[in-house]
Amino acid sequence: MALDAEIQVRRGDVTIAAAFSAGDRETLALLGPNGAGKTTIVETIAGLVPAATGRIFLDSEPIHDLPPEKRPVGIAFQDGVLFPHLSVLENVAFPVRARGARSRASRAHALELLERLAPGIAPNAKPRTLSGGERQRVALARALAGAPRVLILDEPLSAVDVSGRADLRALLRRTLGDFHGPRLLVTHDPVEAMTLADRIVVLENGRITQTGTPEEIRDGPRTRYAADLVGMNLFAGRLMPIEAGAGALQTGDGVVTVPWPDEVAVGPLDDVLATLAPADVVLHVSRPEGSARNVVRGVVEEVAILGDRARVRLDSSPPLVAEITTGSATRMAIRPGTMVWASFKAVEIDLMVEPEPTDTL
Amino acid sequence: MALASLGAAFVLLPVVALFVRAPWSRLGGALSGVGASTALRLSLEVSLAATAISVAVGVPLAWTLARGEFPGRNLLRAAVILPIVLPPVVGGVGLLVALGRSGMVGRWLHDALGIQLTFTTAGAVVATTFVSMPLVVLATEAGLRGLDRRYEQAAAAMGGSPWYVFRRVTLPMVAPQLAAGAVLTWARALGEFGATITFAGNLAGRTQTMPLAVFEARQIDPGGAIVLSLILVVVSVSVLVALGGRLTGLR
Repeated sequence: MALDAEIQVRRGDVTIAAAFSAGDRETLALLGPNGAGKTTIVETIAGLVPAATGRIFLDSEPIHDLPPEKRPVGIAFQDGVLFPHLSVLENVAFPVRARGARSRASRAHALELLERLAPGIAPNAKPRTLSGGERQRVALARALAGAPRVLILDEPLSAVDVSGRADLRALLRRTLGDFHGPRLLVTHDPVEAMTLADRIVVLENGRITQTGTPEEIRDGPRTRYAADLVGMNLFAGRLMPIEAGAGALQTGDGVVTVPWPDEVAVGPLDDVLATLAPADVVLHVSRPEGSARNVVRGVVEEVAILGDRARVRLDSSPPLVAEITTGSATRMAIRPGTMVWASFKAVEIDLMVEPEPTDTL
Repeated sequence: MALASLGAAFVLLPVVALFVRAPWSRLGGALSGVGASTALRLSLEVSLAATAISVAVGVPLAWTLARGEFPGRNLLRAAVILPIVLPPVVGGVGLLVALGRSGMVGRWLHDALGIQLTFTTAGAVVATTFVSMPLVVLATEAGLRGLDRRYEQAAAAMGGSPWYVFRRVTLPMVAPQLAAGAVLTWARALGEFGATITFAGNLAGRTQTMPLAVFEARQIDPGGAIVLSLILVVVSVSVLVALGGRLTGLR
């Protein structure tokens, strides 16, 4: 099953025009800053934007003329949008009952989903008593309850505090992976897009500026925005303590010294994600002196010029992308094939701790 | 502060006076003497019927005002509010020339369908509904306007047909405002005087509701009028208490 969408809609000053496809069992992230039109696009697919024009096909079957209740789309809205007057269980049973199922059957189905996605939440609880993370889990269960053919998650992590995020991210990854059909993930968080999506559509000001796999976009961002947000260095691996406040992240290719996360007890941790902005990587022609904990050497593979900046891809361990001014690049005579040193400080690295082992990274 | 006390005293004084001057010694006699039970039963019947009709017709009207996009919507809203600001007697006269036996529509109602509203309990209900319905319409419309449309959108995206969404999401979510509006409507209906006496007349057992009975008793038996008034005070205060802070929370 595949989703093909071509959408035009005006929202305020922004004209949104986007065409994209999501394949069967493919997670497509719509990544962009706030106001780029991401939510409008997925709400158009769900049939909630009457002013929108365009064509939406599900397996070459048009769904753009159907009213929202007839579209086989399951959507978990930003902030949940759970019905405040209904219990958690009634919320999850809603899509089943709305399609005419009997009360008892729909409740059994809803209970089953809740047990799987939101264990520990009382089915009789009212949504206002839940935390942001719990609401999102219930919203996820509700999105799946109607047995949709397309799954849409709109900013599933934005209303969740940092401590609950890793847990929920792992659940999202499992849920997305288990869903048979195209999946759309709306997010403004590049790490979310890079860790959860198979392909990313970068959306800026209502237009698609780039489409590609996370690796393709990281290695060759086409716009300033993509470079700043998606073009991050991403490290994943096992984190070992080395001294007070510092740890060694052992990736498949090289070791990175990182700050030890305050909220985590000392001990080895699996499946830790870390990001580093390319602008925080400093390049040198000879071995640098200084306080930076991480110093590596590598051959320049590629130099991409983006305005007054040069993005330099290094074949080092771990592989790195550095961003320097075009002036520095010229001065240091950096071009493919040049051998250079790169350094970066441990404190520049952002850690995200994943609590559960996963097989996708 | 002094003005506030004056204001409070001004509001409370008539109620206190009713209690002080009530003929407590001959309460039972006064009650039966002025036909209080008949008038009270009729009042309850008329006010509840008017409230039921107001909700049944007023909720769709509120929905149209809150959600409909058509020319003249503001004009329609002004027309709906009009009975609140209109002197009830004027409303009664209007109803008379519209629905009276020789009125514009009333003539046809009488000749073609044999329906006469004037001097009937149905007429009292019509007059009361005319005056009190705007309250539930306005309260429900305010509730609908304050409702975040995302809930209804979510319900539609979850497979709910428009009617299902209205029943399971919209209506329950505006229920507090609707209920408060219905109570206000009922309270207004219970006290209705001017339109009823003008349009439906003052016939004991048919159109003579409590306020009309009070008015009539005042000319014959001042003590009886006080007793009838006290009954209305008790009923009204009970409603206020039962509603708690919700009525005052209504904007």
